[in-house]
Amino acid sequence: MIDFVQNTVDGIMFGSSYALLAIGFTIVFGVLRRINLAFGASIMLGAYAGTWLHVHYQVNVLVVALTTLVCTVLAGIYVERLCFRAIRRDAALASMVSSFVIWMQLEEAAVHLLPERTYAFPSFFVAGSFELGPFLFRGEQTTMLVLAALMVGALHLLLRHTRFGLALRAVSESPRAAAYMGIDTAWVMLCAFALVSLVGGVAGFAILATDEQITPFFGLWATFKGLIAMMLGGMGSLPGAVLGGLLLGVIEAHAQWYLGNEYKDLSAYLLLFAMLVLRPGGILGQRIHGREALAFRRV
Amino acid sequence: MLRVRDLVSSYGKLDVLRGISLDAAEGRITCLLGPNGAGKTTTLFTIAGILSARSGSVLLNGEDLTRLPAPKVVSRGIALVPENRLVFPRMNVEENLRAGAYARRASAAEIAADIADLYRRFPRLEARRDQFAGTLSGGEQQMLAIARGLMARPRILLMDEPSVGLAPLIVDEIFRIIQELNAEGVTILLVEQNARMALTVAHKFYLIEGGEITFSGSPGELEEDEVIRRAYLGAQKE
Ligand SMILES: Nc1ncnc2c1ncn2[C@@H]1O[C@H](COP(=O)(O)OP(=O)(O)OP(=O)(O)O)[C@@H](O)[C@H]1O
Ligand SMILES: [Mg+2]
Repeated sequence: MIDFVQNTVDGIMFGSSYALLAIGFTIVFGVLRRINLAFGASIMLGAYAGTWLHVHYQVNVLVVALTTLVCTVLAGIYVERLCFRAIRRDAALASMVSSFVIWMQLEEAAVHLLPERTYAFPSFFVAGSFELGPFLFRGEQTTMLVLAALMVGALHLLLRHTRFGLALRAVSESPRAAAYMGIDTAWVMLCAFALVSLVGGVAGFAILATDEQITPFFGLWATFKGLIAMMLGGMGSLPGAVLGGLLLGVIEAHAQWYLGNEYKDLSAYLLLFAMLVLRPGGILGQRIHGREALAFRRV
Repeated sequence: MLRVRDLVSSYGKLDVLRGISLDAAEGRITCLLGPNGAGKTTTLFTIAGILSARSGSVLLNGEDLTRLPAPKVVSRGIALVPENRLVFPRMNVEENLRAGAYARRASAAEIAADIADLYRRFPRLEARRDQFAGTLSGGEQQMLAIARGLMARPRILLMDEPSVGLAPLIVDEIFRIIQELNAEGVTILLVEQNARMALTVAHKFYLIEGGEITFSGSPGELEEDEVIRRAYLGAQKE
């Protein structure tokens, strides 16, 4: 029983970083009804830029953090300009494929920057751990959870209580009606990309600073975890992304404990598969058929 | 007030508007009548800057709006109440109204005051202020769409078939609202297929067919016109 609770706690802590990745996918999906496959790769490129400075100039960890964030946002804007702005709105498949192509391109760029397989990533969080009754809390993971909770809280405020948040939600609901209200939908979409890149950059930095290393698989890994968490929680739903991320973390923690490390990823895929069969919209998924779909047909 | 001249507009290669000219006078209700596919919505879209005109011009109080993108046009004082209402279904009534004021850059206090004013006019919306717009009835959604348009404080309100798909009683109510708004000084360009209802409120009529204006005149002239009477008002009137 104690193990079970401990695993659940560990899962929630690590799952909070999945939640941030899932938020990145879900907000872009909300605004564009598209999946941005290059999301993980843009975080990876940002993190590689930070690592490059760290490796060659031994810069302070705060500089690494800042570089990671700035370069992730720039990469996100690049992806938006190239795959989503340049390609027409109704060509959904084309922009999905092109985001895959950009994924490869960003990864190439990162590997050119740092050709070795593994690099050390500077640690940032308080190491060590503290005990609360029979349970053990690791310092890095607790910090990650707090960081994620702050980000989600800030996003909630942004979306619910600011003019930009109103515009972003209006565009997610109906880009046409939003345009009739005088909302510059193209600008809102670009800002959405910059925003989720920032969130993804924070998540990526937190994960890497916990692992204290970075490999060329990080982009793939981040895209997978974020996508799975989003699908579990429900596409286009912010609470869904948080729930999906936490759920994925918990499932992985339990699978790792009871079945062994090699079943960790497998259990996540099985869970996703079961979800897609039983409840394709995800736990809190929104329907995008019916009236909404009609609204998209013209213009 | 609004002056449209020789407007040509198209989707892709096909010209849908083939030289539309019309005027909407200040403080008046101007009605654009026409059959399905005539180009009524396209006319409103081109005026609102959602579609860019191929040629021709749109002037509002002498200012040329022809080449302006939609957000600029809205902030110059043209608001659109779209066909089929297009409220934001998973935003509540109040958020829909706020979205209508987006282009104004008004202070929170001004917006709150305008929302309070609109709630006085539309008490049914106030009762449902926290409800998702998608759960409102068709008539309530139309009221919300009108109220959302008014939140932009437009100099002219473009309304695209506000009566479509509504029960006769609700249609009466919507037209009563249109008349009241106009009595308070709101200039309206109304697109309708329901000529009979439009006759009860509008001061000036244009008929659009196949992307061209084929008739313009007063309500009296519209009723006198034999062809229009047969096609749009039904032949029963002797
Ligand atoms: N997005 C589009 N792409 C191509 N053609 C279009 C598009 N939208 C409208 N059309 C065409 O333009 C013409 C005019 O359409 P419009 O919507 O302006 O008609 P309308 O007068 O508003 O009709 P209704 O009364 O049915 O609303 C129609 O022939 C229509 O098929
Ligand atoms: Mg129409």
